[in-house]
Amino acid sequence: MSTEDLTRNARENTGRSENKKIKNNKIRVFGINLFIDGGFDIIFMILVFALLTTGLIMLFSASYITAKYSPETSGNAFYYIIRQGVFAVVGVCIMFFVSKINPEIFKKFVWAIAAISIILLIVVLFYHTEVNQANTIKRWMKLPGFTIQPSDVAKIGMIITLAYTLEKYKKQLEKKWWLPLVFVGGVAGVCGLVFLESHLSGTILMFAIGIGMLFLGGIDRRWFILGIGAAVVLFALFWMFKEKILSPYQIERITSFSAKDYYDKDTRWQTNQSLFALGSGGIFGLGLGNSRQKFMYLPEPQNDFIFAIVGEELGFIRCVVILLLFAALVTRGFIIAARARSAYERLLVLGICLQLGIQTVLNILVVTDMMPNTGISLPFFSYGGTALLIQLFEMGLVLAVSRPGERRPH
Amino acid sequence: MFEFLKKLTKPRRILKKGIQQRMIGVLAFMLIGGFGASLVGLAKAQITDSDFFRLMAQSQQLSDTAIPAERGVIYDRNMTVLAQSATVWNVNMNPELLSKYPEEAKNEIFMNLEKILGLTQEELEEKASYKQYNSIKIKSKIEKADRDKMLKFLKGTYIYQPANSKPKKYAYSGVISLEEDVKRYYPYASLGAQVIGCIGSDNNGLAGLESKYDSMLTGIDGRLISARANNSSIKNIEYQSAYNAVQGTSLVLTLDSSIQRYLDDALKECYETSQCDTCYGIVMDVKTGAILAMSTQSGYDPNEPYKLYDEKISAGIDAIENETEKKSAKSTAVYQQWRNRAVSDTYEPGSVYKVITMAAGLEENVVDYDETFTCTGSIHVVDRNYWCHNHSGHGTETLTQGLMNSCNPFFITIGQRLGVDTFYKYFEAFGFTQKTGIDLSGEASPTAGVTYFKKDDMTKVNLASCSFGQSFQVSAIQMLTAINAVANGGKLMKPYVVGKTLDSDGNVISTTAPVVKRQVISESTSEKILASMEQVSTAGTAKNSYVAGYRVAGKTGTSDKLTGQQGDYIASFAGCAPANNPEISIIIVVDKPQGATGGGAVAAPVAAEVIEETLSYLNTERQYNDSEKDKLDVQVPDVTTKGVSEAKEAINEKELKVRVVGDGDTVVSQMPVYGQYIPQGGVVFLYTDDDKRCSYVEVPDFTGMTISQVNREAVDAGINVKISGNSLTATGLTAYRQSVEKGKEIECGSTVTVYFRTTTGVNDH
Repeated sequence: MSTEDLTRNARENTGRSENKKIKNNKIRVFGINLFIDGGFDIIFMILVFALLTTGLIMLFSASYITAKYSPETSGNAFYYIIRQGVFAVVGVCIMFFVSKINPEIFKKFVWAIAAISIILLIVVLFYHTEVNQANTIKRWMKLPGFTIQPSDVAKIGMIITLAYTLEKYKKQLEKKWWLPLVFVGGVAGVCGLVFLESHLSGTILMFAIGIGMLFLGGIDRRWFILGIGAAVVLFALFWMFKEKILSPYQIERITSFSAKDYYDKDTRWQTNQSLFALGSGGIFGLGLGNSRQKFMYLPEPQNDFIFAIVGEELGFIRCVVILLLFAALVTRGFIIAARARSAYERLLVLGICLQLGIQTVLNILVVTDMMPNTGISLPFFSYGGTALLIQLFEMGLVLAVSRPGERRPH
Repeated sequence: MFEFLKKLTKPRRILKKGIQQRMIGVLAFMLIGGFGASLVGLAKAQITDSDFFRLMAQSQQLSDTAIPAERGVIYDRNMTVLAQSATVWNVNMNPELLSKYPEEAKNEIFMNLEKILGLTQEELEEKASYKQYNSIKIKSKIEKADRDKMLKFLKGTYIYQPANSKPKKYAYSGVISLEEDVKRYYPYASLGAQVIGCIGSDNNGLAGLESKYDSMLTGIDGRLISARANNSSIKNIEYQSAYNAVQGTSLVLTLDSSIQRYLDDALKECYETSQCDTCYGIVMDVKTGAILAMSTQSGYDPNEPYKLYDEKISAGIDAIENETEKKSAKSTAVYQQWRNRAVSDTYEPGSVYKVITMAAGLEENVVDYDETFTCTGSIHVVDRNYWCHNHSGHGTETLTQGLMNSCNPFFITIGQRLGVDTFYKYFEAFGFTQKTGIDLSGEASPTAGVTYFKKDDMTKVNLASCSFGQSFQVSAIQMLTAINAVANGGKLMKPYVVGKTLDSDGNVISTTAPVVKRQVISESTSEKILASMEQVSTAGTAKNSYVAGYRVAGKTGTSDKLTGQQGDYIASFAGCAPANNPEISIIIVVDKPQGATGGGAVAAPVAAEVIEETLSYLNTERQYNDSEKDKLDVQVPDVTTKGVSEAKEAINEKELKVRVVGDGDTVVSQMPVYGQYIPQGGVVFLYTDDDKRCSYVEVPDFTGMTISQVNREAVDAGINVKISGNSLTATGLTAYRQSVEKGKEIECGSTVTVYFRTTTGVNDH
């Protein structure tokens, strides 16, 4: 389906809406153009497709055995790839659709988005799927038909909210010395909610995105110098009292990380199996589909540790190519951001790129045992329908920002 | 880098310089710090530490299963299986998992194990207490019947019903498993046990051929390396490479289980009647040096090599109180019973060696075959007198008579005439200074200065005692090889027991070719000696080795044991048959017999039994001389359905006796039936009524009787007696054994073989 078709469809659909004003052949809502003209950034789109297709192929290879022999999938070897494939197709449609929508529109719903994000984060603490017996992990929420991680929603929610508010309160941020603290507090509050889910990696990721956006949003440099100092003190305190702050589950993971016992069959099992997979792959890999570690050695190879199977089958060289694709995507995103038409749009793209880059890096660091195993997925690769939908939605936003067309009628 | 990024992020529209700098900073931090670190981590796992991780992965992914090579079979020369391996199973328990089973399930499992395998609850509880292990052997080497029962049991599941909860299933197969193993079977038990040997619990050869040919028999285990999933239900992983096992080589021995049986039985009888410490013997094929039978009496059964078979010895060991001593005494005794004494033990050959002295004398022409010598009862050598066993002297005798009498002075004289150098030359030539090289482990190693005199140290006095076989030691296999050379026209053969080796498909890998080591004496000397030896067996000290028609040539020996107490003797016999064209040679050694101690009385009758049975088994034609012909058995004529009087006439014609049972006119049946051979003057029973058929008679005890007494007893009882023994020349013959034991009921007219021997004129010491 081409972009023009999509645009036509969208026009026809929205044509039925009551809340529209047509002027100069343009659909307008809230006094701004609903759709924007001009071609989007082809390079960025090609990079997205390259990663998405590679990710789907690798997901199929990694999940095949687990799906074939897992009782949860009723022995259907195509269980994961079919579901992920459907989400990918829907996600691509969403991406193209969103890429045509004026990013300014989201400003109108920003408080609703923020509210929904926070409500979901609170609800999930009470209504979540059972993962382990101790019931400490409260990340997933079951909705009819699918499961979502509210933190995934919260990330994009926070990006949009911060992009909007940082632009809106730019002047005040320079005048009122305490206002940056309100922003930091807001980010910390949301991160706190994620932390309560027992989702350390999610917390770190969100905090990094938030702080990164505040930095790129132009908040006074001195705050960050202060912040780094405070972070060092806080980390020291955190490390001293980590037994009290972290759950036993999280502590175990951190201890097993520092101990590096390659014969451990308990807490380090997944990490060790990941390393064994990567090592087996070596420089050139065992060949696509030839992973042996996916034969029930590496638990859930389709999820957070999918990159271990990628490394085993494709080898170091191809892994570097994949990393370069991610790096290129982030870099291209920054270029789009630099060319953005407003601070809001720029921050929107930067937030998304930060998320993409940091999440990728954290995932690889976990898989290669450079960081404790905290449970962070790899964009475009790891199994997870809603996460993929949100990622593609974000890519759509970036593409929308890359369009040169007018946002507001003259 | 920064210039490049700056150019890249060059804004299309106005962008504050500060923001641009911050963006470049964040991007650079992500690319260099973030992706850089990722790259480092990846390179570390995939390049620098790759080998270690790959090995770790392989060690868990690859299952390396041994494909056990099947141990070769040991056959006798007629392809009768003497030793063969078969699959058995070990039973293993998983105590770790069992500890997680409910008590009820555990009890059920233990109860079944007790029922099937005979294990006690205490044993099982003890094994189950090793909870840190996931596999522990609870029973070794169970056979198919038990294994089938186990398999049936292991299919079961214990359904446990906890209170207020769903029932849980506990599979028996989860905690008890069977593992394949092999067991060695020796179908003929103790037959040739010391030659064949035995294997240990880890299937390696411990003794005998099993040890000597261990690596050949074992073969090489193969390996199956395959990828496996971390989940036993996933099997179809393609990656697999197999290294085939090299199956063990099978051995075809030169032993013949029938001849081995004859030798074993005769030695067993000897062991019991002579109450010796041990006795052993060898039967050899004269032309090739192949061993047809080799036996040591210890009763040991290689199927259970660690059991003690001698009651006397095991009782003695039980009496030891100190546990350590008891243990070491037991292991010594176990090794002793495995010992193949026919090749490992040395003994003083005694008078048997006179054959060698005679051969040297004749070959060197220091004595003439027809020369006469006068024995006065003793002979003076250097500073001492050597007595003949006949202190009053044998008088004037020819060389043959000297051998028949086993006259020491005569042979001392021959020895003195030979001198040390020549005597030693023949000692060496007949192979007494070296191992024979037989393909058996543990052959006694002759050592100069220990088992025999060094040539340079040998004095005339030493020479005198050596001339009649005293004061040095040889092994039975050495002595027999030397005697065999005499029988084989002077050719000294290398003895061997493995005739052929076969691969697992039965194809011949190698065949042992007989090896002639050297011509020791000339054929004519050999013929002369054999003629003399035949006389020894017919009318000399070895007359108990006589077998009618088989022309046994032999020599007895009775020697003082160098080790041991005064009055401990070794009785031996060595010889061959038939004398004119020897087929087999034989040696019998009896260590420390009680009562009758002479080789002629103890060892020669054993040899006679073995020779008779062996040659008859080998279908060697008997050659009777005239006096033997007179005593030949008579074939019973066919008189069934004939009239009684006509039948009587026909039987009387053959000079046999008749007994008619019943009042009828025609013979309904006869015993013995037509065609059987019975001794001259034997009885034929004729039955004229069907219902009177088969009268039975109890076999009397013939032991200790003379031939005439036995004949009388037999006629009274209505059975025929076949006489085995030298009834031709020997006097004072008494029965010492009978083929059907006393008290057993046999049909009237049946034949019983009675073995006779004499104690007169067989003394050679």
